[in-house]
Amino acid sequence: MWLLTWRDLQYRKLRVLVVVILAGIIMSLLFLMTGLVNQFNHEPYGITQAIPAQQWVLQEGTRGPFTSGGVIPPSAVGELGDTARPVAIGRGGLTRETASPKPIEVMIVGLPSDLLSNTVGRGILAKGRAPQGTDEITIDQRANVSVGEAVRLGGAQMTVVGVTKDTTVLAGVPIVLTDLGTAQDQLFSSREVITAAVVDTAPAMPPAGTIVRTGDQIAANTLVPLKNAIKTIDFVRGLLWVVTAVIIGAVVFLSALERQRDFAILRAMGTPRRSLLVAVALQAVLIAILGAVAAMGLQALIAPRFPMPVRMPPSAFLTIPLGAVVVALVAGAFGLRKVAGADPATAFLGPGA
Amino acid sequence: MNASLNVTDLVVEYVSNGYAVRPIDGRSLQANEGELVILLGPSGCGKTTLLSCLGGILRPTSGSIVVNGTDVTALSGAQLEAYRRETVGFVFQAFNLVPSLSARENVAVPLLLNGVSRRDALARADVLLERVGLAERGHHRPAQMSGGQQQRVAVARGLIRDPRLLLADEPTANLDYISAETVIRLLRELRDEGRVIVVSTHDARLVPIADRVIEMAAEPGASDVDELAVHLEAGQTLFSQGDHSELVYMIRSGEVDIIRVLADGSEERLNTFGAGQYVGELGPLLGFPRGATVRARTDADLTAFGVRQFRRIMQDRSRRG
Repeated sequence: MWLLTWRDLQYRKLRVLVVVILAGIIMSLLFLMTGLVNQFNHEPYGITQAIPAQQWVLQEGTRGPFTSGGVIPPSAVGELGDTARPVAIGRGGLTRETASPKPIEVMIVGLPSDLLSNTVGRGILAKGRAPQGTDEITIDQRANVSVGEAVRLGGAQMTVVGVTKDTTVLAGVPIVLTDLGTAQDQLFSSREVITAAVVDTAPAMPPAGTIVRTGDQIAANTLVPLKNAIKTIDFVRGLLWVVTAVIIGAVVFLSALERQRDFAILRAMGTPRRSLLVAVALQAVLIAILGAVAAMGLQALIAPRFPMPVRMPPSAFLTIPLGAVVVALVAGAFGLRKVAGADPATAFLGPGA
Repeated sequence: MNASLNVTDLVVEYVSNGYAVRPIDGRSLQANEGELVILLGPSGCGKTTLLSCLGGILRPTSGSIVVNGTDVTALSGAQLEAYRRETVGFVFQAFNLVPSLSARENVAVPLLLNGVSRRDALARADVLLERVGLAERGHHRPAQMSGGQQQRVAVARGLIRDPRLLLADEPTANLDYISAETVIRLLRELRDEGRVIVVSTHDARLVPIADRVIEMAAEPGASDVDELAVHLEAGQTLFSQGDHSELVYMIRSGEVDIIRVLADGSEERLNTFGAGQYVGELGPLLGFPRGATVRARTDADLTAFGVRQFRRIMQDRSRRG
């Protein structure tokens, strides 16, 4: 069985190579799309898990601090007890002081200095240190800004003192972490406005006009604007599976078609139909696995150059090859039908019959 | 080895273009162990059909085939597969080797696909390749070998399970005389080991080595009938489709219908012939069975001729212009 399969692959090596490359390219896109969706789904948890707070208190009617512009009165913090800390979050623009400055859209997260130090210290710092003054910020590495670089956040001159990782939201918008007052100045031009408060435990009775959400709920809410994008990528993933199936199915079908005479001869010699079916199915599986291996290599080359961050789930390295095998078997079914239909009587026909 | 072959009243009928064809009609033959049987005849006379029946890959319409006491026509499914695998060896026309496999792999493949270990299967293949004089070509693919070498590989493959019955379809058809001689010598050796070997061929040069020769095609008509008056009542049949051909008929008066009998038993009128026309001349001239039924449309008088007499009449007619 192995011999028949392997020798045929060798015999048609050029065709097999082309198909493996094609399937590999398609499956590498599958890997990248999978990594992209996984990144989207994990992205907001980076910041919500870094901020050491279990509960978020928001303005009633708002969906989340990263997606809505609701504010709560600073007095609400006092009502929530000693552990409550105010937070100011909103979109802003950051400009590097280069020859041709281009504004970078960022998500400004302002925290009280002790909470800011704790947050930066929870494994998100890639380089530098936590901001300590009102003119210091950290920014996610996706912004491509270096530690020590002078930048303008809104209208204020700032110094980047740290670069963080896994701190983006809304499909790659870098988070700027800074002092609460600085954030309030840039976002609201007022230190009387906050967008949320964080507390360790949920209050028995939230202050009037507020609601309480967990960090995970906040993260999940941040995904809402990306829902359509994720659906679209999932749809494209489905199409890529179809293309993979068509490529593998076509080559298995052609191979089965060309080998009808061989199968008829082998059937005439008493080879069980099952053995021949397994030989062809094995061929489909091998092409799928070779394509998946090629895809793994290709995605490793492409992912760093991909415009969006790609977070490949380890399970993808199992599920995509397995999916490819299943797809190959389904697509190869047409070829298998040809094999099953090989009539041993045709073995006696002359060449070209 | 106690191979023996008994074929009794074998009939194979199939439908082609809507009408029933009987390439084999009541064929019987016997062969004992150590005999080489040659099925001789032109293309289309049923040689390959008979081989297919003997090999258990085509089920006859009726009749029986008994090989070593096993009624092959009573086998089905897995039993037939086992029969083909264990009792029969095949040597196909045009070699029919698997192009992606080397010579030794081609020989070994029937064993490999039936669970024999690669080592054992290839070792057996090497022995057989040596036997057919191709030990040094074991690693070559079919495309790298001559026709004669490929045919010897095909013979080796047919022998891989040491079958009692070896069926060879036109084994010398595509070979030069040197290669053909090698293959013929090989077949004789295999026969001498006690196998029954059945070879289908149109090559009469093989006849001298045969223990039995089965003429698959009827001889062209050799009747000595000079002239014979035949009278048909309307609706009476002169001869039926599939009958043995012997005489040619000239219509003297009346009309006859030329009728094709279809697979479902229904009839299709192809033509109507009248006085002065001939019917049924091709079958006797070529040795074919009757290709259609001829039935009187009206009362008719005909004259029957043997083929020799018919030829004379035609020659006289062409001389007279």
